[in-house]
Amino acid sequence: MELFGGSTGWFAGFYDEYLGFVSFIIRRWDQVIEYTFNHFSLVLTVMFFSLVLWISVGLLISRYEKLANTAFGIGNILFVIPSISLFGIFITIPMLGLGRTSAALALILYAMMPMVRNVYRGIKSVEWPIIEAGRGMGMSPLQILFQIQIPMAWPVIFAGIRVTVVMITGIATVATYIGERNLGRFIHHGIARESADMIIAGAVLVSIIAVLLDFILGKIEFKITSPGLRREQDQN
Amino acid sequence: MEFEMERFISALFDRSPPHAVEHLQLVLIPLTTAFIIAFPTAVLLTRRRFIKYTDRVMTFFNMGQTIPPLAVIAIFFPFLGLGRTPALFALTIYALLPIARNTLAGLKGVPQDVKEAARGMGMSEWEMLFKVEIPLSMPVVMAGVKISVVLTSGTAALGALVGGGGMGAVIFAGIDFFRAELIIAGTLIIGVIAIVLDRLLTVIDNILTPPHMKT
Amino acid sequence: MIKLDKVDKVFPGTTVPAVDQVSFQVDEGNICVFVGPSGCGKTTILRMINRLVEPTGGDIYIKGQKVSDKGVNPDYLRREIGYVIQQIGLMPHRTIEQNVALVPRLLKWPEDKIKPRVKHLLEMVGLEPDEVAQKYPHQLSGGMMQRVGVARALAADPPIMLMDEPFGAVDPIVRGRLQDEFLRLQKEMKKTICFVTHDINEAIKMGDHIVIMNKGRLVQHGTPMEILSNPADEFVKDLIGSDREIKLLELTRSEEIVEHTDEIPEVVNKKDCFIQAIDPVQRALETMMKKDSDLVGVRDGESFIGTISWEDIKKHINRISGDQA
Repeated sequence: MELFGGSTGWFAGFYDEYLGFVSFIIRRWDQVIEYTFNHFSLVLTVMFFSLVLWISVGLLISRYEKLANTAFGIGNILFVIPSISLFGIFITIPMLGLGRTSAALALILYAMMPMVRNVYRGIKSVEWPIIEAGRGMGMSPLQILFQIQIPMAWPVIFAGIRVTVVMITGIATVATYIGERNLGRFIHHGIARESADMIIAGAVLVSIIAVLLDFILGKIEFKITSPGLRREQDQN
Repeated sequence: MEFEMERFISALFDRSPPHAVEHLQLVLIPLTTAFIIAFPTAVLLTRRRFIKYTDRVMTFFNMGQTIPPLAVIAIFFPFLGLGRTPALFALTIYALLPIARNTLAGLKGVPQDVKEAARGMGMSEWEMLFKVEIPLSMPVVMAGVKISVVLTSGTAALGALVGGGGMGAVIFAGIDFFRAELIIAGTLIIGVIAIVLDRLLTVIDNILTPPHMKT
Repeated sequence: MIKLDKVDKVFPGTTVPAVDQVSFQVDEGNICVFVGPSGCGKTTILRMINRLVEPTGGDIYIKGQKVSDKGVNPDYLRREIGYVIQQIGLMPHRTIEQNVALVPRLLKWPEDKIKPRVKHLLEMVGLEPDEVAQKYPHQLSGGMMQRVGVARALAADPPIMLMDEPFGAVDPIVRGRLQDEFLRLQKEMKKTICFVTHDINEAIKMGDHIVIMNKGRLVQHGTPMEILSNPADEFVKDLIGSDREIKLLELTRSEEIVEHTDEIPEVVNKKDCFIQAIDPVQRALETMMKKDSDLVGVRDGESFIGTISWEDIKKHINRISGDQA
């Protein structure tokens, strides 16, 4: 720590004590990049499949009310299962084993609840008179879906996407225990080696990313909400 | 998947019970602490004098949820060392938000005309809080507690990583040795804990909720 | 223009028909008002005309064409029929302009034709286009939203309008104003309108023709005068209420009972006690009370045409309501 006047200066003491993780990050920069990249590529893969799958399921159950209870039942059960168990169960299935497929599948299942619930809630929040007026003016069911229900539900759906992205980013860290080389690995190895710098580096990095994602998606959420729908949100 | 019933039974009945007790503690202690912190805080935030702090405090509680659970658990380890303490701290932080958020929502949801009527009958602010607002918002508050129960039961499995024990110990052993029986047994018990606590809270909720609000 | 022939509707899961063997006809350019207590089937009839509900029996014709014909696409049918509901159902995520332009866009009108049309419509319903076009529904008052609802239904100039309690969600003063303005519009538009209300006064005011419904059955239909002067049964009498005579006076123009004379009586001149020939007889009565006179002068524009006395009004009441006990 020559940069700060050797180990005698007060700042160096403070630095060693509390900010050691910063020099850790600088030292292991290449690894940080690699882990971050792996982290995001996993989250993106999961989100791609989740969007396609769970938005469809959400739309489906908002139309076929009977399926809704089944879907929410499954989603609730999945939610009670700890993330580490879900990862663990998948890797013991021979076809999947250790690796990305198991990690991605488990995370996609986790995404079900927040995504499906918000799509359903959003679609159902469109009040009856608006649908009735749309029908009465001669909109086809598809036009009602794409011009009324989805645009009106979009803020709620997007809020679900935001929650899911943040949640998946967080849970993905746990996938390090089934072989994913992502930001969770610093925490994983840090605990094993009892290295405070490593643990804090991992925790801080992944926290910053999660908070940042939440913040950015929140801004986007506001931007894409029709001004005509914003009033109700202001009141909350 | 190889699945040996015998191993599963032994995991469920021999290996798990001591860990189940630890797990229950990992859920109940943080939950109670979180309630003691979050509920009064949220109540205060609905009082006129403190209402301006709502956004800031809720942002703080929100962080507890936005930050990944593994990070929350890990971050206390360097300061508190191995053992149950870091796990308890982390899980408490994790349980705060749903309780605080639902308490706020519940209190805000008490209809204005009811409060107006209570004030009209000459209730003081304290009387109104304890006789009107809190009883009426109880179902929403309890829903928040239930969400926290489910979240904490699952996340507590990570407590084992920092030596906090609990069902996580069984599950991680299953992962290390590729034993689905251990993982499933551990998960099952966590599920049972979550469901039993949820039912217990429903009973409490029924006692606390004013009769006319029951559905 | 619109004809119902023994139309039935039994909703699934029920045994009592919501609409039971209803037949009648609405003539072109008329307002036909359906009135009755809630659950009497009036709204169901309306929703069967544009096929939001399919009848279980009987036939509905528009301009001689059966609406249930295989060749009729219900979506296309509805685009040709204006539809206004009490809850209005404006799309909250769209501007007023986009809301009004909805049906023209569904009909794929060219954009350069839509903009002026929207402007014209907003002006027609008494709104300032520059002020409201870019606003969102929640920024308008209840009365303004109702006006937008009417403008939206008129957008593609449909020959037929279905209106389900279109002025039901506003206070009585605004409702009265909206009714007056709509009647004025209708004089020029000459649309064929089916109008649902539970308010007999609104029915009398708006209707060229009134259909009274109870428990899914058509109880009586006719002009407001026919129904007021000759209620078919106790139900209709109750519905009309105890102020039947006063309502009758609202429906009779003063010129119908005026005693023609060229000379203006002195008492009328002194008390400045005049009404117009097209005013309802009720106005004569009000003027008498206000000016403390038992004689009013009747003018047609500027020229004096005769007088109405208290005795004339009494005789008129006896004549139109005398034929029933």
